[in-house]
Amino acid sequence: MHQKHSCTKKQQADSVPSSTKGAMATAINNAFDVTDAPNPAEPSSLQIEGFNLDALRLPQNFGETLCVKRLITRVPVKKPSKTDFFRVRHGEDWRFQTMILELKDDGETFLVAPAVWGVVPGLLRPAMLHTAIDRRNNFFMIPVPLPGEDGRRNSWHQSLAEVVSMAETNWVRIVANKAVGGYDMLVAEGSLPDPDWPEVSFQELVKIAFRERLIQTPDHPVIMQLLGRS
Amino acid sequence: MAMPQYAGGIWLADFEFHPAHGREGNPPVPVCMVARELNTRRTFRLGQDDLACLKAAPFPIDQSALFVAYYASAEIGCFIALGWPTPVNLLDLFAEFRCKTNGKPKVAGNGLLGALVAHGLDAMEADEKHTWRDLILTGGPWSQTERRGILDYCESDVLALARLLPVMQAYIDWPRALLRGRYAVAAAHIEANGVPIDTDTLAALKSGWQGIQHSLISSVDAEFGVYEGTTFKRDRFEKLLIRDGISWPRLATGTLDLQDNTFKDMARMHPSLAPLRELRGALSQMRLSDLQVGDDGRNRFLLSMFGSKTGRNQPSNTKSIFGPSVWLRGLIQPQPGFGIAYVDWAQQEFGIAAALSGDQAMMMAYASGDPYLSFAKQAGAVPKSATKHTHAAEREQFKACVLAVQYGMGAESLAYRINKPVARARELLNLHRRAYHTFWAWSEDALHQGLLGGRLWTAFGWQLFVDDAPNGRSLCNFPMQANGAEMLRLACIRLIADGVRICAPVHDAILIEAPLADLDDVVDHTQAIMRAASSAVLDGFALESDAKVVRSLQRFMDKRGVSMWNMVMEQLGLESRKVSNV
Repeated sequence: MHQKHSCTKKQQADSVPSSTKGAMATAINNAFDVTDAPNPAEPSSLQIEGFNLDALRLPQNFGETLCVKRLITRVPVKKPSKTDFFRVRHGEDWRFQTMILELKDDGETFLVAPAVWGVVPGLLRPAMLHTAIDRRNNFFMIPVPLPGEDGRRNSWHQSLAEVVSMAETNWVRIVANKAVGGYDMLVAEGSLPDPDWPEVSFQELVKIAFRERLIQTPDHPVIMQLLGRS
Repeated sequence: MAMPQYAGGIWLADFEFHPAHGREGNPPVPVCMVARELNTRRTFRLGQDDLACLKAAPFPIDQSALFVAYYASAEIGCFIALGWPTPVNLLDLFAEFRCKTNGKPKVAGNGLLGALVAHGLDAMEADEKHTWRDLILTGGPWSQTERRGILDYCESDVLALARLLPVMQAYIDWPRALLRGRYAVAAAHIEANGVPIDTDTLAALKSGWQGIQHSLISSVDAEFGVYEGTTFKRDRFEKLLIRDGISWPRLATGTLDLQDNTFKDMARMHPSLAPLRELRGALSQMRLSDLQVGDDGRNRFLLSMFGSKTGRNQPSNTKSIFGPSVWLRGLIQPQPGFGIAYVDWAQQEFGIAAALSGDQAMMMAYASGDPYLSFAKQAGAVPKSATKHTHAAEREQFKACVLAVQYGMGAESLAYRINKPVARARELLNLHRRAYHTFWAWSEDALHQGLLGGRLWTAFGWQLFVDDAPNGRSLCNFPMQANGAEMLRLACIRLIADGVRICAPVHDAILIEAPLADLDDVVDHTQAIMRAASSAVLDGFALESDAKVVRSLQRFMDKRGVSMWNMVMEQLGLESRKVSNV
């Protein structure tokens, strides 16, 4: 019943045909007594008599002058979740070898300063902290345990190190596989864009990540607790 | 910016009028006019007989002068009724008051009285209106004393304008205010045209409606079985939903949410439910007697320009044919020898969002002609070779996701729409954020602008002030809606100047009318102007449009209303007026 018109590329490129103008002008004049109707507009630029629309157009660049930026207030230290694809930032500037203390019951990881390393032997573990980001632009740090004093490495830790290496160039997701004692690595095959790394230094990230979890002296409550002194 | 100088004067004017033959829907009959020059105070007080003798306004209306009114489309409606040329420069203090206060708490409304009060001006005279207005609406004849009183009453509004303009002029954004004023001229032409209505069918509907309600319920409900008599039974509807595997939103109490807006959303996703929604709407809300149709079969109604916060028109839902249920649009029928066309911007909101945010991926999706499928491709959910036929289901989900983002929906609401688990909805929304991250950053900036700067604005200066209880969703959506309104206004201004007969603007569409011989050309021209108008708002990024053309003897119909229309026609015994699917 109805006919569909669609504005085609041709219509966009051409102005209204001159034959149209004549027929339309007649209809127009009959309808409204418009004796001096302006010519139909060029499709690309609208002319309204008495107005320079280009000069009147206001920018729609909201927020530019207000300079609102997203502050990173939390940087979890954790293994990647099994449901999130993530990337690891490549380069020595974005990783950090240190000693950490993991309280698995509390789900907390502490950064331990050298002054405390000898105080609780056997509880600390050397680890490499890597900077990572998920698909929703959330930062986190992945602690990858390093080989212990005997030079040996747990197969899970070895597997995690391989995952991290792969994630430097690919979006990766991991799933624990108990049968093989390591992680299955799922690599995104689509052409996904690289992460939008925010402008924040690694030092700042570490500071945020361990703001409340930095052990600098042997009298830190956690150390005192572990030594049975509180 | 200072008020421009006008050698021909700044003319403050007001008309009094009533609808012809006392019937709403008829054109206005001017009763009197008072016009006063702001600086010289030269005043014209013209009664009905004086007006009839004039072929044009008795003061300059060319480029040298400024015409000032409050809610100017009414005054211009009188110009049109009198056959006078309309002013070149027009300042509508209503539009400027709305623009200055949009979103702020109102002291005494948006009328002239409210504007006076808001500016701390004496509003006593403007308040003594009702008796005079009632007298004018009687249509006369009036005694000599009454005529003088009506003129005095009319002049009191002009004197109010003379007090108002000097205090408002300091904050008026002059060039853009005049552009808004130009729209008042276009709006008046549109209001004068109206929408052609099939009055025979309307009369049959009005007289037969009460009598067919029971049989209509039986007819519609045969498929659903949810009515008992004239009562919609919630428990039966719940069983129907279970039978058909449809998830339905619920209220906090756990009961089904049966509000019309919810029904509307759900009927869009599940078209089989549309007749049920139409029936519920028709039984509970339809007031055919309020539909304003003039003696000549034209549905004329106030556009209520700048009525909504976004600056869009906000006509009465009961007075306009586009207000009630969509099936009633079947009453729209071009007159013999004429055709009409409903020309709407294609995916207007998506295109505006793409252009204003500068999101290249989104702009490419729009330019593809099928942004929904393009989004699915950009998200890697379908192969590059996918078409709407090979991947219809996926396209529907991505379309629902795009619309959900536009409506500010969360994952749960989207899940209802696509009838999928919330996890799938969440995934789709995340895909949108990733594919169009530039848009999302810009949208957040708009929110920050509103929250911190206290104000948002459009490309041509319509603005929204943020109140104490801001709605983040509305703030984010404002640029799309309000710039959509800007392009509609620009298109209407230009089309009216070109003499195109616009019957009504409808959200993101324009209904035009033309003699059959010219119809195709006028449609082409309308599409070209709409394209140019979008380009003017979006700094060179043009939006496409679609046109649905209806020629005389055919009737306009929204596809969502076909089923209901045909059932009603059947019940009324008007089989010949049924329509085929559109």
